Amino acid sequence: MTPRNIENYHRVQPGEFAARCAGIFHAGGKLRMMFAADERETDGRMNIYAVFSSIADHGSFDIITTAVEDEGGFRYQSITPRVPAAHWYEREMACMFGIVPEGHPDLRPLVLHGMYPEGVFPLRRDITAADVRSKVDLAKDDAYPYKTVEGEGVFEIPVGPVHAGIIEPGHFRFSAVGESIYFLDPRLFYTHKGVEKLFEQVGFERGIQIAERISGTSSFCHSTAYCLAVENMRGVEIPIRAKAVRTFLVELERLYNHIGDIGNLCAGTGFAAGYAGGAELKERLMALNHRLTGSRYLRGVNRLGGVSRDVLEDVESISAELSVVTDEFKAVMKFIMSSISHMERLEGPGFLSREAAVKLGATGIAARASGVNDDLRTAHPNLFYDRIIFEVHTRNRGDVLARMMLRADEAACSLAMLRSILRKAKPQKKELMAADAQQDARPADIGGGRQALGWVEGARGSIFYFVKAAADGKSPLRVKVRSASFCNWPLLPLAVLNDIVPDFPLINKSFNLSYSGCDM
Amino acid sequence: MIFNNFQFLIIVLLSPLVQGIIKKLKALGQGRVGAGIFQPYLDLIRLFRKGMVISKTASRVFHAAPFVVFLSTLAACALVPVISANAEVFGLGDVIALFYTLALGRFFLVLAGLDAGTAFGGEGSSREAMVAILVEPMIMLAVFTAAVAGHSTSAAQLASNPHIYSSPAYVLAFCAFYVALIAETGRIPVDNPDTHLELTMIHEGMVLEYSGGYLALLEWAHWMKQMLLFTLAADLFFPFGIGMDPVRAFVLYSVKMAVLGAALALTETSRAKLRIFQLPSLLGGAFVLALLSIISVIALQR
Repeated sequence: MTPRNIENYHRVQPGEFAARCAGIFHAGGKLRMMFAADERETDGRMNIYAVFSSIADHGSFDIITTAVEDEGGFRYQSITPRVPAAHWYEREMACMFGIVPEGHPDLRPLVLHGMYPEGVFPLRRDITAADVRSKVDLAKDDAYPYKTVEGEGVFEIPVGPVHAGIIEPGHFRFSAVGESIYFLDPRLFYTHKGVEKLFEQVGFERGIQIAERISGTSSFCHSTAYCLAVENMRGVEIPIRAKAVRTFLVELERLYNHIGDIGNLCAGTGFAAGYAGGAELKERLMALNHRLTGSRYLRGVNRLGGVSRDVLEDVESISAELSVVTDEFKAVMKFIMSSISHMERLEGPGFLSREAAVKLGATGIAARASGVNDDLRTAHPNLFYDRIIFEVHTRNRGDVLARMMLRADEAACSLAMLRSILRKAKPQKKELMAADAQQDARPADIGGGRQALGWVEGARGSIFYFVKAAADGKSPLRVKVRSASFCNWPLLPLAVLNDIVPDFPLINKSFNLSYSGCDM
Repeated sequence: MIFNNFQFLIIVLLSPLVQGIIKKLKALGQGRVGAGIFQPYLDLIRLFRKGMVISKTASRVFHAAPFVVFLSTLAACALVPVISANAEVFGLGDVIALFYTLALGRFFLVLAGLDAGTAFGGEGSSREAMVAILVEPMIMLAVFTAAVAGHSTSAAQLASNPHIYSSPAYVLAFCAFYVALIAETGRIPVDNPDTHLELTMIHEGMVLEYSGGYLALLEWAHWMKQMLLFTLAADLFFPFGIGMDPVRAFVLYSVKMAVLGAALALTETSRAKLRIFQLPSLLGGAFVLALLSIISVIALQR
């Protein structure tokens, strides 16, 4: 059991909700996520939750929640005008629950495209996936009102959703004058899979497998955040050895992502040799993943209440591999940074200001490269992070170069952390699973009921899960997944302003956002 | 010898091999195994056997362009001496005529890029036009350096003038020509032939709407142009070996092609692509080299 309450739920009247949220946000409390839950079957209401990092009590969360009444349609006063970071969350709720945020500046449908039936809100409890599926009309015209710039010499460049390479679908509508980008309106959510609905149907245990498959390169962070949420909800404290294993694999995932991303930036500038160097090293790490866990994407390790295998047993061979990786990483970075033609391309484009990063709720690399010191590993330490000493790196330039260099800093930091975990994880403590993993250790009335958050700082940024159990306690009433990409996609249009069209792929790679991973 | 009249077939038939070798070298430079050096031939066969998808908005220009591009490149190939400077029937031609025959093909390719009505074709075309404007004066000046020194604009005459390549002006002119060669063949740092990033494409952007047989013709023409420019570089700047007996001349020619191809592969592997608005600095710099070379040639002659 945690000694103090990390999650503080505050129920407010609908009229006070916006003011309360704005108060916390303007005092510097970061909006971590915002979501709705259809709780009409338990307490007769639709509830909205806004999760903020607490300002007064470092390390804990303030969760502001309010009920939305059905007055011929669910409506409430939008908080976006005062809390810009909430803009996508509110649009998402409008799509998925039919809760209309009044006064929101942009009420175009975010998630559901034209083919979905109108007036059917998939995440309401009385709608089943089959209902939605039977009403989808693929032939229906998808007239989405893109925002564009008009005037002499302005061209609209539609890009995607099908791209020339093997990448995920996303549409980008550029308004450009010559090669300069005046405005970009991206449209995503082509891969809606109904994941959150699926969570409600499969029960807690199988939820891990879903979480692992939300975003391939963040498999382990997603499943860890999900497990932590369920464990927090049940009041289960996992054994120290399991914490070490999870932390080790979270850092390993960060490491292979960052190294792969640094290599991919070389593909963005056409620097073939640099790309090859990054790809080779990433492959070495993927092979290590496979050797340790049997899965290149670190799947199948997490269990509710612990982990399924002790990947840290063979300390010597892991250490040996890590020192090879450390040396090779240094060599690759030296090689990449010695290429003037490559480094020159990275300097300048994709500038994201600190102000925009804070206002729009940027997370992960995108935030820290613009000078925002925000890392869940220190802001809300869980797992093993309160036992190891490390530094949160930031960069201030906010451009592509800053994001690359920050990845390099963090990769080096992760390597050090991996070694430190190997040293500190005591081999004599062998338990991998909590004894009471399958039971609820926590009475229902503690900490606001059977609901909890789980969070992990992944390679792309913070990942949050919210889990609330249904009345019977056997299955979830609501699982909300908030991936890092969901926070960072809205930043891209700002980052590309005044850059040139051919630099867009490079800028996009520097954020390396997941399309499918933000589209539940 | 009747064979000399058909020496351009060497370029036509071996240009996919040169492309294959360059790709192989690039793969090796990146630590990959890469496809076999005969892969471009297989690609051509595959493309010729495939059907075509053609945009509804495409006009006749779109259908004509692959043939104009292929035939104009073919005609240009017939103007250069490959292994012999004597060709009785067709006669070898003038280097100025050669570059403007190639320009005809480029003109049609730019039109075709615009014709299909997609954003990427238009982008590719506008960028290609920009690069062409920058490259043309430079490549002509580099060629004039050789022409002034050799007192002729005939490729055959220049190629059989073995004494002229010792002048330092030639080094400058060759450097300019090499940059032009990179730009004309759409290689890094000017363009990236292997990219999947449609927003950065130049040559690939223009041909993005082509498929099947038309694409095969355009690709083949592009490889022929590449080998043609290699050949011209060999003729103008390393004109030894032309006029030897065919076998020795061919061996020497192959060595020159391999060296140029390797140089191109090395440049492409070790450098990143330039930002598009920095191209004028690269190409402008090369233009200055070309200008210096021709000034020094004229000054030395007086």
